[in-house]
Amino acid sequence: MRDIVTVSKFTLKEMIKRKVFIITTIIIMALIVLGFNLPNIINIFSKGSISEGSKILIADNENIFEGKLKEIDGKEMGYSLKIKTSSLDEIKKDIESHKVNAGIIVERENNEITFRYIVNDTMAMMPEDLGEQLEKLYTNIQIEKLGLSETEIKQITPTFDVQVEQTETIKGNTLVITLLSILLFYAIYFCAYQVSSSITTEKTSKIMETLVTSTSPRTIVIGKTIGIGLGGLIQILILILTAVVSAKLFLSKAMLDLVLTSTQVSPLNLTLMIIFFILGYYLFAFIYALSGSTVSKPEDIQAAATPVTLLTIAGFYLSEMVINKPVGSLTNFATICPISSPFAMPARVMMGLSSPSEIILSLAVLIVSIIVVAHVAIKIYSNAILNYGTKMTIKDLVKMYKAK
Amino acid sequence: MSLVLKNVSKKFGTKLAVDNISLTLDKPGVYGLLGPNGAGKTTTIRMLLGIIKKDKGNITWNGKEVTRKSVNFGYLPEERGVYPKTIIRSQLMYFAELKGMKKIDAEKAIEHWAKILKVDEYLDMVAEKLSKGNQQKIQLMCAIIHNPELIVLDEPFSGLDPVNTEIIKNVIIDLVKKGKYIIMSAHQMTTIEEFCSDILILNKGKTVLQGNLKEIKNTYKANRVEIDVNKDISKIIKTLKLEVEIEKNNQYKIKIDKEEQAYKLLNKVVEANIAVTKFEIEKPTLNDIFIEKVGE
Repeated sequence: MRDIVTVSKFTLKEMIKRKVFIITTIIIMALIVLGFNLPNIINIFSKGSISEGSKILIADNENIFEGKLKEIDGKEMGYSLKIKTSSLDEIKKDIESHKVNAGIIVERENNEITFRYIVNDTMAMMPEDLGEQLEKLYTNIQIEKLGLSETEIKQITPTFDVQVEQTETIKGNTLVITLLSILLFYAIYFCAYQVSSSITTEKTSKIMETLVTSTSPRTIVIGKTIGIGLGGLIQILILILTAVVSAKLFLSKAMLDLVLTSTQVSPLNLTLMIIFFILGYYLFAFIYALSGSTVSKPEDIQAAATPVTLLTIAGFYLSEMVINKPVGSLTNFATICPISSPFAMPARVMMGLSSPSEIILSLAVLIVSIIVVAHVAIKIYSNAILNYGTKMTIKDLVKMYKAK
Repeated sequence: MSLVLKNVSKKFGTKLAVDNISLTLDKPGVYGLLGPNGAGKTTTIRMLLGIIKKDKGNITWNGKEVTRKSVNFGYLPEERGVYPKTIIRSQLMYFAELKGMKKIDAEKAIEHWAKILKVDEYLDMVAEKLSKGNQQKIQLMCAIIHNPELIVLDEPFSGLDPVNTEIIKNVIIDLVKKGKYIIMSAHQMTTIEEFCSDILILNKGKTVLQGNLKEIKNTYKANRVEIDVNKDISKIIKTLKLEVEIEKNNQYKIKIDKEEQAYKLLNKVVEANIAVTKFEIEKPTLNDIFIEKVGE
């Protein structure tokens, strides 16, 4: 046990002192801070253009809308509308003096109605919703002239309401859950891959013999996976902390509530996510340990790791099916199958679709798989680490597993 | 204390790498394991330390099976290796802790051995910045830092310059004085002759010669005479039908079959009034014995 702690401590120190770890962490932290500042950044860059809360002046100088423009509810669309007779120059002045953000002049030319949209942002388009409202109002005015009753008007200008009803009530936003699932996949994948690279580094630096005469291969594999896992966990916790602090500092309360509701972040969900991260990491870390111990040249790591990477990606895509189709036999399989459950189960938990018994079953299968994979990996690692020769075949690995 | 290898064998596939070898090291000193490349030296060492499993035989230290836990041993492998991107002090501390040392003792031992091996100025550098020789000294530190009883050194002098060879020789002499049991494999026969009381020569996995080095040499007759004179004596040598091995500035190394031939030569040289500054009858060197036993 003392040796496992020593190996873990050494591996962890080596990992967090590496430039690539520090730089990656700083870059992701910066991206998180940037992400949470996105609304503020958009506001800074969209000053002068039309966004929520903008004042828009509508000038119906020819009275095309017959004084009914006030019927348009600007607030519903998030604008403050000002209806006033104004010339083009007057509107321009009003925009320059920031009295309004934009202006619309309604004109009729050859029986065609034109909206002249005046704004100081060259890239700006007239708000679509406002355009629709103006068109609808004009249509209504014309229909009214035909003397139709309100019911008749409604019949010829119907609005269809589409309502989606799912067989299961899904909590959370699937896009956000997909993003979290991708994050989980990358965290597990990158940490586990480092186990393989760490083992091959030891083999290529020929330090393995000194190491195996200092402690047991079992201690090395377990210590190494714990050390790298702790490094990954520290990185994830730093990123979560950055996200929490950024959310508190940069998001408005309304936006923060929206984010929390859409991610379904609760202490229980977060704990389960971390548990699945740890277990998923261990499963793939032991598989990568096995692949790492079969090669002796750094250039061969990639080739040896490819089957494991494909397995990881297959697991991830299975989990994506859970998000797209949260109910069904394939989904049940994905949440229990150990290669996909570390990504699929947290997603299903966040959707609010998992029962405690399903979670326990998924965890149990994952733990048993880790024990089996760890046993095989340690056995092969113990026999393969001093192999500096050619690449090993599956047959060699089976022999090594069977060897005493 | 004693290390005993009894009838140890190892096969790799169909190839017999080590065939029924036995040795005993029952007093402090250096036991030399010799043999050409591929003779089975490293395999024997790896079996001895439990890195690979033996197929047959027994390996014991004080009557107990040698394992990492049962014996406090130190090992300098043939495959040199350090963590290239890690600070030297950190990796030495890591191995010391794995060998069960306390941090404070490890720190003292690191400083002590670094001074002796003249690498103290590199302790806070990453390993990849050190020369190969200095990296080798760091590895030797890993092998002896925890004060082991049994030390196994696989080719400790290979690739070292004369200065570093001398430093490591002194360390080994010091370890023997401290009562350590050392198994050493080497290619440098002069080094083995300097250190080893007992030797085992392996060839193709088999023992071809084994025993006390002095006793082995005593079984061999003199085979060379070294004579330094102040004039050319090649004519005298020719008349005696002897073969010159080396000749340089009237310093001769001449092959002989029996000691009498050397005395005859000396008489003839003296009779010719030629001054002799050196006359030495030599027995075969370990190098000669080695070549005789394994050279084909």
